[in-house]
Amino acid sequence: MAASKMKTEGSSLRQSMASVHTWAGLLPGWLVFLVFLFGTAAFFQQEVSAWMRPELRGTQVTSTALEAAGSRLAAEGQGAESWHLSFPHPRGGDVLGLAWPPKDGDGDWTLIDLDPGTGQPTRVRATEGGSFLFKFHYNFHYVPYWLGRYAIVIASLAMLVAILSGIVTHKKIFADFFMLRFGKGQRSWLDAHNVTSVLALPFHLMITYTGLVIFAYMLMPWPVTASFANEDAYFEAAYPSQTSVEASGRWAAVVPIVDLTAKAEAAWGRLPASIEIQHPGDAAAVAILQPVRDSLGRGAPPLQLSAVTGAQLDSTRKSSAAEATRDVMVQLHAGWFAAPVLRWLYFVAGVSGTVMIASGLVLWTVKRRAKLPDPKRPHLGFRLVERLNIGVISGATGAIAVYFLANRLLPLGLASRAEWEVHSMFIAWGAMFVWAIGRPAKRAWAETLAMGALLYALVPVVNALTTARGLLPSLIAGDCVFVGFDLIMLATSALLALAARRVVSHKPKVAARRKAGATQEVTA
Amino acid sequence: MINLATFVLSLAGFALLLLAFPRHQQDWLRRKLAPGKARTLRLLGFALLALAFLAAGLGLGWGYGAVVWLGWLTVGAALVVTAQANRERILTRLRR
Repeated sequence: MAASKMKTEGSSLRQSMASVHTWAGLLPGWLVFLVFLFGTAAFFQQEVSAWMRPELRGTQVTSTALEAAGSRLAAEGQGAESWHLSFPHPRGGDVLGLAWPPKDGDGDWTLIDLDPGTGQPTRVRATEGGSFLFKFHYNFHYVPYWLGRYAIVIASLAMLVAILSGIVTHKKIFADFFMLRFGKGQRSWLDAHNVTSVLALPFHLMITYTGLVIFAYMLMPWPVTASFANEDAYFEAAYPSQTSVEASGRWAAVVPIVDLTAKAEAAWGRLPASIEIQHPGDAAAVAILQPVRDSLGRGAPPLQLSAVTGAQLDSTRKSSAAEATRDVMVQLHAGWFAAPVLRWLYFVAGVSGTVMIASGLVLWTVKRRAKLPDPKRPHLGFRLVERLNIGVISGATGAIAVYFLANRLLPLGLASRAEWEVHSMFIAWGAMFVWAIGRPAKRAWAETLAMGALLYALVPVVNALTTARGLLPSLIAGDCVFVGFDLIMLATSALLALAARRVVSHKPKVAARRKAGATQEVTA
Repeated sequence: MINLATFVLSLAGFALLLLAFPRHQQDWLRRKLAPGKARTLRLLGFALLALAFLAAGLGLGWGYGAVVWLGWLTVGAALVVTAQANRERILTRLRR
């Protein structure tokens, strides 16, 4: 491939781009696959959280709950440096959260979950919900977050290179825009890779580029070290925290929380996303209300109120054009602003990206299998790629179902229950990985895919057996989130089953493929 | 409603673009169109995609609409590709 003859200037550029595309796509491919898989699922983060907290019915915050929250803060949080209230997201899935830092300086934060309706501590099962899927897609797990993040940032950079070199290499992608041919071996894999890449190309470029912008300070730390004394000084300038006030030392009661939220409702027409009260109990106490971030473009600035009188204090500074640009990129990436229809479009494009990476990884082996000197005993590199493909593509996809199953099946009283949901997922994934290594490749694909199909099919069943919110009751109640979740599980199961069947019925035509490979131009 | 309009315009636009390719004309019409006709189809196809952008932008705001437009472009093109991949089945059914 790299040794191919140089014909003209143009074709040699394309051929060198072809090897760039191959290797910039392959090496970080498994990491980027995970990022796309979990990131795509995380577009429905709140809905996943709602499904994983079935005890939570409705997340409308009542004034009773706010009163209860206020008196609990006053009674138990007295003496803390600050109080924090987090409100359920408008899309649901969250509780009303209270938190304050340790009063004597060290130790853990106190976290209390309240029912948004009653204000009493909830009996909601311990779970990380959708936020685990979200965090995994930029931090990974079991490794220090900065390590996972560096790995992801570097892999994403390679991904951007792979996308751009892919566009240069496959100049035929636009001539072949509508081509998807089934049952043609390598040609079909190439078609699938092209179609999933090209049709959602604006999304792939946007999501990869904006993802890099979010963590640009990690990729290019030098502007920061050149202009700021240290990293903290940069963060203070880039993401200014609200002016922290000095305590006056005079005692004064905090106004009822309802008076603070009323100000937010007057300004934004709805509840804030969170309230932070600095120096509660002091005459100089300040409350900072953050708006829900679900618009595209420059959003409303936070509200800064006196926590003693409820009066509005001098408003916060306006964001600069550079900050606003960065904010829009973050918004485009995360899609918080997307109404349901657009959210589904994001999801479809994300699935397309996930399939693009998976098909690209598989294509690497398909292209090389036919040219192996001894197809019965492939070399180590080939075997490594092949097994990683099965273990990551098929294994991780199936393992997410186990995360949902564990949410329903683990005992409610289990210690560190939320962590065990996550452990369950990784145990299942590890098991499928071992399976993928131990079996012949074709069987390993079919069996892990079939296992995934079974696991996803089990989710609605187990949900119906362990909660009162199965598919049928949810349909009757018109509960879109629960119905939608179960249907997505069934659809995923069907797709994995179909894929497994395809693998089983696949008859490799070695001779035919060799011939096709010889006449084909250098691609991938 | 705006979403539906954007979607239908994108779908129709890509269908015309598909028919502007000589080899796809062979697939669907069993003959090749004159180059002039193919050019008209291509222009019409792009015009419909532009109209879809106008519909999304005017109806949903230019920033939000642009994102929605790109989303529906992907879906529209994907459906046309699905139809193209299953054309034999579709044509047999149509002929019956």
